[in-house]
Parts: sequence; structure tokens; C-alpha cells
Amino acid sequence: MTEMKTALVIGGGPAGLEAAIKIGQAGHKVILIERTGSLGGTLRKLYSSFPRWENPEDLVNYLAEQIRNSSLITTMTDTTVTAAKKSAQGYQVTLETNGGKSKEIKVGAVIIATGFELFDASAYGEYGYGIFDNIMNSLEFEALLKEWANNKEKISPPKTIAFFKCVGSRDRSKGMPYCSKICCMYTAKQAGLVKELFPQTKCYVFYMDYRAAGREYEEFVRSVIEQKHVRYVRGRPAKVMPEDGRLLIRAEDTLMGLPIEVTADMIVLAAAIIPSQGTREMASLFQTKIDQYGFIDYETNQPLKAGDRVFFAGACGFAVEILGAMEQGAAAAAEVLSLFNQEN
Amino acid sequence: MPELTKKPTEYYFKAVKLNQLDDSLQQEIKLKCGVDVETCMECGKCSGGCSNTHIFDITPRQMIKLIKMGREEPLLSMDSLWTCVSCQLCVDRCPSRIDIPRVMDYLREKACQQGIKPTREQVKLFNELMLGSIMKTGRVEESLLAVKFNLKTGNYFKDADLGRQMFFKGKLKAFGPRVKNLKKIRQIFNDTIQKEG
Repeated sequence: MTEMKTALVIGGGPAGLEAAIKIGQAGHKVILIERTGSLGGTLRKLYSSFPRWENPEDLVNYLAEQIRNSSLITTMTDTTVTAAKKSAQGYQVTLETNGGKSKEIKVGAVIIATGFELFDASAYGEYGYGIFDNIMNSLEFEALLKEWANNKEKISPPKTIAFFKCVGSRDRSKGMPYCSKICCMYTAKQAGLVKELFPQTKCYVFYMDYRAAGREYEEFVRSVIEQKHVRYVRGRPAKVMPEDGRLLIRAEDTLMGLPIEVTADMIVLAAAIIPSQGTREMASLFQTKIDQYGFIDYETNQPLKAGDRVFFAGACGFAVEILGAMEQGAAAAAEVLSLFNQEN
Repeated sequence: MPELTKKPTEYYFKAVKLNQLDDSLQQEIKLKCGVDVETCMECGKCSGGCSNTHIFDITPRQMIKLIKMGREEPLLSMDSLWTCVSCQLCVDRCPSRIDIPRVMDYLREKACQQGIKPTREQVKLFNELMLGSIMKTGRVEESLLAVKFNLKTGNYFKDADLGRQMFFKGKLKAFGPRVKNLKKIRQIFNDTIQKEG
């Protein structure tokens, strides 16, 4: 019956890694599968983290080392779940590698940690994403930040960068009605990093409200404004137009009630967080509860339970920061352990 | 911009007594226009994208805010009422899809009903002439409309050169177009007049 005391963790981001580590440390077998070739998930794409300006690579290495050191965790990268069949005490799951080889396993519990993706900002014709050059979403900008940091001397930095928040969030017309929760923080982080790398570059952040509810969050945003001199403008930009090779932004300063214009060389769109393709697939395979947006939903009074023997952690449930994802990973692990323990 | 009739301090530093305001105007807009201004998040995307905001005295966002505050008087006498060209950019950009042009129309009607003098007489005149043309032929007879407008305003040669160029390019017809079912158009006008008085 040891198969039935084996847990399947789907997704190798911070939530999945933490869940796998904790179940392994408690003495149960874990199969950790990851769709891409390496562990780390979205963490690997980030240049820095808020609110402590830490290097996400250090965290990935720390987690990956614990995974490697555990004899109970089997890691399978380049692997996806293609089928799942419910049995009396668990699931019979079909795994498929990129090479096309498939394998059937039996597991007693499943943790889905398949993360998020970004809303396609080209839904907003007025912002020109995908039409004009130098307009990108925040994950693309994060990659650019990495590149800048590695070639700092060779780069001629943009004179002005504008950050638009709530692109696809808090919009019941063309986007998602919900607040994506983490954009306020990572936008402040990105603007702060630009000022750190290139103090001469002017940064404007267009915001509707800035939401900094978390340990050290408010202090973080204030420090970006006060010490790094990022200018915050209250108003949602309405139009981006090319002008002499640069980008002209029109908006209203809603605190003054005045129309304003900013000429920028680069625009970063903090696109809404939506369930990833993998999240949608896993929700359908394991027939979990989902909410109206496709995020995995929880059962009443059980915040990480999505169905019979199925739990979830991280941004597949809703937008969450790195530490929050790890907390949920550990909590989902506790759910699995409690389940296994009850069946002794 | 119209000249300021009050001292700036009267505009900016006079306290609005919130507990003396009510939501009757907001309810009226909801009932008559089907527009719920409660959904406004005050992001300002309407005003930022507005094609005429540079000549507005009150921006669309401020207009919505004034409705929420129940302040009818500045709304009915504002210059924006007559400089708005109903281009619909605001409603297209609005994350809450608030139909601001519909509210503008309603406020214009209300201002006219209450006999409030438009800040731009010519706009009202143009609208009247245009609607008159539609009532008569079912379409806007552009050349005639331009001539009538120029005669009434005294700017006899306004856009004359542009009109000449358009005529030779075949963009202006000497005889205006007509719709087939003129009866139906007249019916719409009659219904509206009967309904609104």
C-alpha cells in the first residue's frame, strides 16, 4: 500500500517545491513533475524580489538543493499529466515526457501547483502592445532587467520609462474585474530596480490605488517613491501614440483633474494575472472546483482543498506573492500528511 | 474657457457639506439613462482619452463625481456640455463601461428644458439645424446645413474653400440624399416630441 502513501505534486514553482520538500521531510514518497526542463517556475524569470530585494535564484537553488537531498522525492522535468482516473484510495495518473514516453503511476493524493500566466495586453488597442516597439508586459521587462544588469556598462538606458498598473485588472469591460494583488508591489520593485541600475532614467508609475498590504510592503513602496525618486501619478493612462520615435502617453492626473502627457521611451504593462493553461488542464483532469475565472477554487472551510484527495497551492488558486506561494505549499503538504496519517 | 465669474477660492476652498447632499441625481441618472455611476472607480481613463478634454472645464471623471455628489447646478451650466462631441472614446475606454455620452445627452436635454443658456450658443444652433435636416429628409444635407449655419452665425464664408474642394472631389452633392422610408423617421421624431414634450 505504499503507493497509496505517495503524493503527486504538479508544478515545480515555489509552491510545488515547498509542498514536495515538506511531504518528503515527513517521510512520504513524492513524485514532483514539472512541464519545463528546470525547477523554479516563474521565480526563474525574476531579477529580484519584493520587499527585500532578494535574488530569486538563491531561493530556487535553496529549494532545489533540498529536493536533490531527499531520497523520497522523484523529480521528473519535461513531464506533463495527460490522464487521471479516480480509484478508491487515490488516482491512477498517466505521465508523459516531452519525448512522448508515457508512464502510469498510482498516487494517494495530488497537489496542483501549476501557477499563473499574464493577461494578453493586446486586448487594449489604445496601449499599442504588440503594435509599437518598446511596450512590454512585466515578465518581459523582468527578463530585460536581467539583461541590463549583466551588461550594465554597454547599455544606453531609456531616458524615461512609464509603468501602467491595472492592465486587464479591475476592468469589467475588456479585462478581469478582480485586483491581481501583486502588481502594485512588483511594479514598485521594477521601477526601483531601474533607478538602482540607471539613476538618470525617469520612472513614472500610473496607478489607480496602490495596494501594499503585507509585511514591509507599505515601507517598500514608500522607499521607492522617497529614496529612489520614482514618480507616482494617479490616473489610468488612456492612450499611447508614437511621436518622433518615442511614445506619447495621455492620461488624467485625477488628483488635480488635469489632462497630462508623458513622453516615454519604454512602457511596462503590469498585466493581470490569470490561470495558466496548465491550471485549466489540471482542473479539468482532476475535476476540481474552479471559480468563474478558471482559478482552482476551495471547498468551504478548507482553504486548500479542491476536491477528493486533491489540494492546490500557489497562483493556480489566485495571484500570490513568492512567500505566500510557499506558505500555501507547506499548508497543502500538511493536508496531504494529515490524510495519509488518518489512513494508517 | 469661459471667464471665471467667481474668485478661485470659491471654487476650490469652499467646503462641500457631504451630509447635506443626497443621491437623487444619481438615482435619476440610473432610472432615465440606465447608467449606474456607482461603478466608477475614478481612474480617469475617460478624461485622459477624451478628444476634447483640453477645452473642457469639467472632465468626464469630475462630471461623474459631481453626479455622485448630487451637484446638479455646475453640471447643467458647465462648458463641457457643449464642447463634448459625443465621440464615445470615454465609454470605449471605461473599465466599467459607463455610458458617459448618454449622460451628457441627458444633461444637455435637462439644461435646455430648464432654460439654462448654453455656454456655446452655436453648438445648440448646429444641433437644431442638423436635427431639422434629418426630420425633413431623413439624412443630414451637409452643404445646405453648412450654408444655413453660416447664414445664422454671420460667418458667411466659413469652410467655403473646403466646401468647394469637397464639391469638386464629389464629396458634396448639390442635392441632398433622402431615405426611402421618410414616414418612419418622422414617426420617431413625433414619438420623441410627444414623450418629452
